[in-house]
Amino acid sequence: MDRLSAVRLLIAVPLLAAQAALIGYARFVPARYFCWAPFDMQTDYTLDVTIGGRRLSAEEIRKRYRRPKRGTDNRSIQNLIDIIQGYEEQYGRADHAEVVMKYRINGKEELEWHRP
Amino acid sequence: MASSLNPLRCGGTSMPVPLLLMAKVVAVCLLLTNHVRLMPDPFLPFLTVFEGLPYLQIVLKTVFLVSAVLLLFNRWVRVNAFLLGATILVAVLSSRAYYGNNKTFTGLLLVFASVCDAGPRAWPIRVQMMIVYFGAGLNKLLDADWQSGQFFEHWASARIKNPVYLAISPMLPPLVAGKIMCWFTIVAELCMPAMFAIRHLALFGIWTNILFQSGLMIFTGTTFTMFFYAMNAAMLAFVPWPQSKVMVIWDGDCGFCAKSKEWVERFDLEQLIEWHPLQSGIGARFGISMDDLTTRLHLVADGRIYTGFRAFRYMAFTNPLTWLLIAVLISAAPENWPDWRRAVVICALFFFSPVFAPVGERLYDMVARNRHKLMPNSTCRI
Repeated sequence: MDRLSAVRLLIAVPLLAAQAALIGYARFVPARYFCWAPFDMQTDYTLDVTIGGRRLSAEEIRKRYRRPKRGTDNRSIQNLIDIIQGYEEQYGRADHAEVVMKYRINGKEELEWHRP
Repeated sequence: MASSLNPLRCGGTSMPVPLLLMAKVVAVCLLLTNHVRLMPDPFLPFLTVFEGLPYLQIVLKTVFLVSAVLLLFNRWVRVNAFLLGATILVAVLSSRAYYGNNKTFTGLLLVFASVCDAGPRAWPIRVQMMIVYFGAGLNKLLDADWQSGQFFEHWASARIKNPVYLAISPMLPPLVAGKIMCWFTIVAELCMPAMFAIRHLALFGIWTNILFQSGLMIFTGTTFTMFFYAMNAAMLAFVPWPQSKVMVIWDGDCGFCAKSKEWVERFDLEQLIEWHPLQSGIGARFGISMDDLTTRLHLVADGRIYTGFRAFRYMAFTNPLTWLLIAVLISAAPENWPDWRRAVVICALFFFSPVFAPVGERLYDMVARNRHKLMPNSTCRI
């Protein structure tokens, strides 16, 4: 086996095998990371964030979560929930932010998600 | 042939021409869409190793730009294709805000291009295509909104407000148009892994992928960041590329043909084509009659003979400039020019599709019949 073939095996096999495993894993979790599900869901959402009784502006929300206050996400809504949860647990724990997200998946009935 | 500093050339490097061309098309699109601005600082990384790295963003931006430019200028092409792809993958893993399927696929494609050779040795790219479509198809197949057509109904009517869908959908019972489109997508996505897996179906896989991705682009007007570019560029890894010089037999006693030859030669930067006047008698070597040679241009590549429009199309197909030009025309267009992007894609599809070939042949024959009238100052070259 020449050197390039060995490098090819060494790089390609783990990367491809990991993807195959993640496609299987995604069947058991809502987030669907790295399972090749692009544009499988259209979620229209609005975020309201309150810290110490003050509502954050659209700009402040964008800076905080790197997502607009109001928008459409084309992946699982769990991706956005993970970003909010992750931010509040890792970077914003002291803020005790209250988050309300109203969202519709694929144009269906409105749902609501709260934190805490 | 030594590697050239000319970014429009792809020959003479350690990478096969179609693979380097694929990597360059992706690099051009990354640069022209100013993708470097999206390179993130660590934000809720998937791997904690990236958490809090203060200079990660500047390192990613620098490596991204340097490797993309060096790749375009044919310097250490395998290393730079790898670095460019790895930079994108590190960016994906270091920030949930940057994470996206299109970026992940682009990164993987470049990394695989850096370790692949042409033909069967491009198997990582082939398997990657199978995984992408299998994952996408499976996810849709098991999703209730895709089964019912609700996804497409909402997406096409409320989100992108596609006029064709909005006109057709009300003529059918509720959700039927959406259901048809959803199931068409699911079936297409689940068939493609099989097409890429079975070698003699690969051509169908290539065309299905191109039509699927182009159809999406024409329908929505968007390229889904890098997805459209990378998914189409990936097909270059599978197309048969000429293994030796291509021979073109032309009418050396025709001014129009001489001008056309000069024009094509100017753009044949890889010097792939060897030109032979039909008057030299070379046609006999391939069993082509003088009558046929005077009627149409003939091209011989790897033992196959192409004539007329198909010969001209083959020259365009195997010239890297064609693909780099298409990439530039689409990716350099402003975001709010969806109709321009659609027009470029439709023209390219028509030109290269077998459906257009009969029309192309008629146009070619019309020009060929009148070639002495188009440029009467005949130039006898023998």
